[in-house]
Amino acid sequence: MSGLEQLQYLSWLLYLFVFAVVLARTVRRPTRAHIDMTLFFGATAIVIVATTLTEKFHLDVPSWVNEELIPAAAAALGYLLLRLVNDFSHVPTMLLRAVELGMLASIAAIVFAPGSISAGVALALVLYLVAVIAYDAWAFARHASRSRGVTRRRMQAAAAGSWCLAMALIIAGVGIVVPSLAPPLEEVGAALGVGSGICYFVSFAPPTWLRRAWQEPEVRAFLARAANLARLPDMRDVVGDLERGAADALGASGAKIALWDPDAAQLKIFADDDAVALPSLPHSFQQQRPTLVTGFKRADAPSAALVELYNARAILAAPVTAYGKRLGVLLVYAPRAPVFASSDLELIQLLGDHVAMTLENRLLVDEAAQVRAREEATRLKEDFLSSAAHDLKTPLTGIVTQAQIMRRRAQRDPSAPPDPAGLERLLEQSQRLKSLVLELLDVSRLEHGSLIGERQQVELAALVRSVIQREAALWKRVKLRADSSVVAELDAPRFEQALINLVENALKYSQPPLPVIVEVWCDDGEARLSVRDEGIGIPAHDQPLVFERFHRARNVDDRRFAGMGLGLYIARGIIEQHGGRIWVESTPGVGSTFFVALPVLDAVAEPADTASEQVIQ
Amino acid sequence: MSEAPILVVDDDPTILATVSEALDFEGFPVITATNGAEALELVDRNWPSLVLLDMRMPVLDGWGFMRAVRERGLNLTVVVMTAAADARRWAREIDAQGVLAKPFELDDLLGAVMRLRAPRPCPEN
Repeated sequence: MSGLEQLQYLSWLLYLFVFAVVLARTVRRPTRAHIDMTLFFGATAIVIVATTLTEKFHLDVPSWVNEELIPAAAAALGYLLLRLVNDFSHVPTMLLRAVELGMLASIAAIVFAPGSISAGVALALVLYLVAVIAYDAWAFARHASRSRGVTRRRMQAAAAGSWCLAMALIIAGVGIVVPSLAPPLEEVGAALGVGSGICYFVSFAPPTWLRRAWQEPEVRAFLARAANLARLPDMRDVVGDLERGAADALGASGAKIALWDPDAAQLKIFADDDAVALPSLPHSFQQQRPTLVTGFKRADAPSAALVELYNARAILAAPVTAYGKRLGVLLVYAPRAPVFASSDLELIQLLGDHVAMTLENRLLVDEAAQVRAREEATRLKEDFLSSAAHDLKTPLTGIVTQAQIMRRRAQRDPSAPPDPAGLERLLEQSQRLKSLVLELLDVSRLEHGSLIGERQQVELAALVRSVIQREAALWKRVKLRADSSVVAELDAPRFEQALINLVENALKYSQPPLPVIVEVWCDDGEARLSVRDEGIGIPAHDQPLVFERFHRARNVDDRRFAGMGLGLYIARGIIEQHGGRIWVESTPGVGSTFFVALPVLDAVAEPADTASEQVIQ
Repeated sequence: MSEAPILVVDDDPTILATVSEALDFEGFPVITATNGAEALELVDRNWPSLVLLDMRMPVLDGWGFMRAVRERGLNLTVVVMTAAADARRWAREIDAQGVLAKPFELDDLLGAVMRLRAPRPCPEN
């Protein structure tokens, strides 16, 4: 047997083997894709067996075998391969019909031609086949470029096999046109035949070990990544990453994880910015086993993000269950069914188990964070009590001791005149104690959301001006700039309290004679107020925290700057309970500006002078 | 030769004034400081018979003051005077002889002074 013959026999054996494999599969599970594979490899088997019997074994077969059966079966190959392309990817219906017609025309030409077909008809037939198979090869290659993992590799193999087949046909065509070139090209043709046989074998009937080998890198990557996902801050990120990893591992176009919502008794998928409920519970979730289903039945996707899932023709599903706790279901989908194999059910179960472990870990991380947050809240409350107690004890010491001294003086010498300095200290400490107690009560009201009382329409600039005038003795550095007359609905005494807290904060952290500027204006349909100082400023790290209770920025020497650290906390509470916002912009060493934005009732653009006249009247 | 004074150290001026008045009324000589650094200067010059020491103060706090006192080899009788919940622990930390947790009674203050003050003459400069 020559080398050429060996090559030919090898390729024929390969094709016959693939035919046997797909035929067995079709008998077991007659899906459309399996039937199409059987038809394609059946046609090749007919060509191969008939050719072998007549050419190699010189058996006496009826003439129609050579003249009609072999050419007709060969003519059908392009169309049958196109059907396979359509099973994996999309082929325009018009094209499918056109190729179908071409095939029927070819077969008619073959069947109705008297005796053997002419060289011209044979050449036309070959050209038609080459064109169709080349398109098939291109379509497989395109689908490969859009797929991932094992599917990408299978489609690459199908494309390579189809290119080999097309090349082999071109060579056969050249042999028809130039018969002298046929013998030297025969070996190349046979080699291409072997190549296409091997490629089709691995793409359409890959043995399990090969699928596993192709899936391994993505599965490995998935398992490695899953181990670190539980610590991601956002559950959506965890789920999204698991979905991508599962899709890659199975070579599918996508994957979704539906999580069980026990309150709604529904499975929900993160879609867009929302969680969308599945229309029904998949069997996989109900029966707690992996399944392959052929898509949602006539259900419209509830969200743009789920269109691909709802249009999928094949969905592999596996329960996501950890320690008997049903967390949800993993859905891996493909637009076409043959992407998955039955061995993928084991793999998706493995992935589902890993998703479950990752999500369960994630929930434990969340629970641990909640416990920490509760402990932190308790600690803050204890800190609050101990800070409050400390701040109350200092004036209390002054009051108790001072009163006892005065009593002792009076007892020793009842005729002695009262001690004005001592009395003054007694009053001063009583006032200090009173304001601390009121501040603490405000915090308590604030936390119950009942800080704000009745509101009235107030002209903001006038209110600020009156406070500045009232406090003029201590607020010598405070200047007002009011550009317009802005009316807001305010609990005036509370708003004044917030303003006083902001201004006193500014005065406390900036040295005389640096000014503190209060501005009132209208912007973006909001009343705006700012308090600007040129003081020590607030480090960037502390800026979001200055409004927290008892928080003092790091650059504040809390023994130099007295206070409980409640002023800004109360100010924020007052502003927010008015439906407003408060924030700070600050540069350490340059100064801070606190901004307040309030919903406005009416903005009248008036010059500042007019506004000040109104106040004075 | 006058009697050695009692040194009162506190950053709160009202406490300083009230405690001074109470001690003065009972006939004790008193000197005051608003932080540890000021107190150190006074210790060098006046050798007080007793120090009433607040712990949390600017510039130099109670702990810093006591460290400096030890480094100089001085032997002072100290009463910690603080509003903190940790008053007793802080007193142990610096080996103070007494502790007055704010708010204290006048009698507690005077009692501690009577008990712990080491009467001795002030060194003539």
